[in-house]
Amino acid sequence: MKAVGARLPRYDGVAHVTGRTQFVDDFRVPNMLWAKALRSPVDHAAIKKLDVKKAAAIKGVHAIVTWEDVPRLVYGHLEALGIPGDEPLLAKDEVRYKGQPIALVAAEDEDTAQLAVAEIQIDFDERPALFDIRKAADPDAPQAHHWGNWYPHFEAEMDVRQIRKGDIDRAFDQADTIVTGVYRPAAIEQLPLETQTALVVPEPSGRLTIYSCTQALYFSMGVVAAHLEWPLNKLKFVGGTVGGGFGGKVDTAAETVSALAALKSGLPVKWRWTREEEFLCSSTRAPWHMEIADAVTKDGWILGRRMLTLHDSGAFARFSPYGVTKHSFHHTGAYTIPNLHFDGYCVFTNRVPTTAMRGFGVTSVSFATELHVSRVAEVLGIDPFELRLKNANRIGDTSPNGIAYADPSTVPTIHAIADAIGHELPADYRTMNREARGGDLLPEHLVAQVGKVDH
Amino acid sequence: MRFVVNGVEHEVESHGLQPLLAVLREEVGITSPKAGCQQGGCGACTVLVDGEPRRSCLIPAGALNGVEITTVEGLGTPEHLGPVQAAFHEHYGSQCGFCTPGFLLATHALIKRSPGADRGQIEEALAGHACRCTGYVKILEAVEAAVGGAR
Repeated sequence: MKAVGARLPRYDGVAHVTGRTQFVDDFRVPNMLWAKALRSPVDHAAIKKLDVKKAAAIKGVHAIVTWEDVPRLVYGHLEALGIPGDEPLLAKDEVRYKGQPIALVAAEDEDTAQLAVAEIQIDFDERPALFDIRKAADPDAPQAHHWGNWYPHFEAEMDVRQIRKGDIDRAFDQADTIVTGVYRPAAIEQLPLETQTALVVPEPSGRLTIYSCTQALYFSMGVVAAHLEWPLNKLKFVGGTVGGGFGGKVDTAAETVSALAALKSGLPVKWRWTREEEFLCSSTRAPWHMEIADAVTKDGWILGRRMLTLHDSGAFARFSPYGVTKHSFHHTGAYTIPNLHFDGYCVFTNRVPTTAMRGFGVTSVSFATELHVSRVAEVLGIDPFELRLKNANRIGDTSPNGIAYADPSTVPTIHAIADAIGHELPADYRTMNREARGGDLLPEHLVAQVGKVDH
Repeated sequence: MRFVVNGVEHEVESHGLQPLLAVLREEVGITSPKAGCQQGGCGACTVLVDGEPRRSCLIPAGALNGVEITTVEGLGTPEHLGPVQAAFHEHYGSQCGFCTPGFLLATHALIKRSPGADRGQIEEALAGHACRCTGYVKILEAVEAAVGGAR
C-alpha cells in the first residue's frame, strides 16, 4: 500500500508543466489536411438537395465526405448492450438538430476547407421542432424521432423504464401526508478546454493510425471499425491524453468521419472542432424533468415514493437509455424507501444528443432527492438532519433495484456534515450507526424488506 | 518577421495576419500554447511577449517584429524545473494539463511584476484563465506556494 494516503507526484506532472505533453493537436505529420464540417443550420428539416460538386472543384480541396461514403451509416454507440442504432454518422435525408454533421471537407488549410463548406449546395424543407420534453406526448407534438417521441426498446420492448417495489398503494393509504415536488435541472456543457480533435494518418500498410482525445479508447475503436466495416486490427489508436472530458468525450465525435476523409484523400487529416462547434453541438449533460410524491408519516418515515422522470435524450439515443436505467436504480438517493413506483421515459427532442457527465443519470436524481428530503422535513417541521438519519441507507437495506447495501456511507456522512457546520444532534441521533436496522429503526413498514435479506 | 522565442531567434514566413498562436504551433513548432477558443476567452494560448502575458490567438504575426517571446518551454526543463513549474508540480496545480502552460506564464509574469502578491492580486492575475478540471483551488495553492518561494 504505497499509494493510499501518500502524496505521490503525478506521473504526467513534469510533462504538463514543461509543455511536453502531447495532445492530439500537438502531433505533427507531413502533408496533413485540415477538415471543416458542414453542419445543419436548422433544428429539424428534410434535406431536399445536397450537391458538393462546386465545393470539390475548389483548388486545395482534397476530399469531401458525405453519407454516401460511409460503409455502415447507422451504428448505435451501445448496440453491444442491446440498444439499437438510430443515428447516421452523417445526415442523409433529414437533420434533427442544429449542428448535426452533414459533410466534412478536407483541404490544404483551414481557410480553404471553410470556404469549400460554404460552397456546398444544400436545400432544406424545415419541419416543426420539439424542444420541451413535457410536450412530447401532446397529440399535436412535432415528431422528433422515427421511433416516436420516446425510446421504445427497454427490456421486453417496453417504452418506459419501470421500478416496482413493495406495495405502493398501501404506503400511500398509510401516509399521514403526501409531499410533492418537481425538479428540473438544465443541460450542462462539459466544456473541456481541448475541443474535440482527431488526427487520422493512412499508413503504407493499409492501416489507419488514429490520434484520438476519446475518454474510451477501445470503445471508440469499436465505433470506428463498425462504421468502416473494418476488422479492429486495421486500426491503431493513439490516445490516453485527454484535455478534459468529464463524460463528453465518451461519444466518438471526430474520429470516424476524419478516418473516412483520410481514406478518400489518401492523406493525413486533422479535424479540430472550434469552440463554437463545442457549444453548438457537442453532447451535453441532459436536462431532466422529475416529479416526486412521497408518502410520509408525521414522525418522519418515508413510506413510499411515486416518481415520474422525463430524460431529454436530444435527437438520438446514444447512451441515454442506459442513463435512465442508472437513474432509476438510484432514484431514492442515499435513503431507503421500501415502497416504490418509478416510471422513467427517455424522450427525444430536436436538441443536440445528450450524454454522460460525471455521475451519468445519477446526479440529477441526487439533486432532486436531496431537495425533496429537505422539503419533507420542512413540511413535517422536523430537523432535516434527523429526517435524513432516520431514513438513511443501512447495511442490509435494499436499493430500488434490489441490491443489498454492504457498505452504505449515509449515516457517517451526515454525522460529518453536522460536525463540520456545528449542528447539534439529539443523543439518539448522534449514536445512530449504519448497522442493520433493529428496534426503533425497524418500524413495521421496513420489516418486510429487511426480512427478505440474507445476512 | 524576426523575433526571439525562448532565447532563440526565428525568421518566419507566415502571413502577417496569421495569429501568433498559429505561427508558433505550425511554423516554429512550439505546441505548448493551445487553441482552446481562438477568440481570447480561455487563456490556454497565453505566451509572454516582452515579459507580458498576451493571448497569442489574438496577436497578428505582423506586429511581432523584434519582440521577445517566452513560452512554458522557456521556463525550465524536465531536469531543471523553474520555480513556478516546480510549485505547480508539487502542489497538483495541473490536472489534464491543457490550460497549464497559460496559468504558468501568467503566474511567472505576476511574480516578476509583484513579488509579494496577495490572494486578491493572484486571483486578478489569473482571472482570464479557464480550467475545468481543478476547480481552481489546487491552482491557487500552487501559485501561493510559488509566490511564497519567490518572496
